[in-house]
Amino acid sequence: MFDKSIVGKSFPPFTIEAERGKVRELALAIGDENPIYASKAEAQAAGYEDVPLYPTTPTTFTFWGNRQMVSQLVKAGINVMRILHGEEEYEYLAPIHPGDTLTGVFTIVDGKTRAGQTGSMDIITTEVQYTNQQGTPVLKARQVIIVRE
Amino acid sequence: MTTNAQTPTKVYYEDVQVGDEIPKLVKAPVTHLQLVRYAGASGDFNPLHTDPKIGELIGTGGIIAHGMLIMGFVGQLLSDYVGPTALRKFGVRFRGMTHLDDVITCRGTITEKYETDGVGYIAGKVQATDQNGDLKVSGTFVAELPHRA
Repeated sequence: MFDKSIVGKSFPPFTIEAERGKVRELALAIGDENPIYASKAEAQAAGYEDVPLYPTTPTTFTFWGNRQMVSQLVKAGINVMRILHGEEEYEYLAPIHPGDTLTGVFTIVDGKTRAGQTGSMDIITTEVQYTNQQGTPVLKARQVIIVRE
Repeated sequence: MTTNAQTPTKVYYEDVQVGDEIPKLVKAPVTHLQLVRYAGASGDFNPLHTDPKIGELIGTGGIIAHGMLIMGFVGQLLSDYVGPTALRKFGVRFRGMTHLDDVITCRGTITEKYETDGVGYIAGKVQATDQNGDLKVSGTFVAELPHRA
């Protein structure tokens, strides 16, 4: 059972830089060999200004940028070894280019406990809103996690 | 909504019809090395994705793939189809665990086509299944497509 008082709570902002090398590493791990993710030169040869973000690059912002996330969840009474990932959703609001510095604010937007067949489970919805160095909102990342008791 | 004029065009709004299928993507079997690489790339070091002992301990039948790796596979499907910078929204629900050696196939269908203030959008549903047809991920996306001149 998690601490219901965390619902609606935002944690202190974190910053993360969008990096070409990180996009390339992610694409390679996924097994996507599209050269646009490999280097600026190859992206430009294909008509892009620079290396575009991989569609799931936001997951790297959250894990590498918000290094306090796990301890924040633990403090809220969430057993992180029991987390199942339920949903993940991105809204790409404006272009993000390599070298941009993003500021993310992590908020727990909803949480409820449900009785299941094998015990109760917590269903927690989190959101990270990202703005760039000009203060423009560029990305919204929403996540639903399920914690089996 | 911002449009990047220099973005190369993969597909035009006029060429897409509701009911169209996105060319399917069949991925190579998931390997342990791939999960180690994905952990490093994404920053998700939860040991249940990399350490077989943890997998046995919590009863998942060995290590399981990051759900986000499978979302990444679906990201490749969409990147190949509309290009990464055309995506405006991309979300999935995680429906089943993926194990080593599973062969994941990603598919998608166009469900909607509409214009807002002269800008063309398509929406679709996507899914990833394994070699037995078991569903791993289902989701939706929205992409902004350019008009034919």
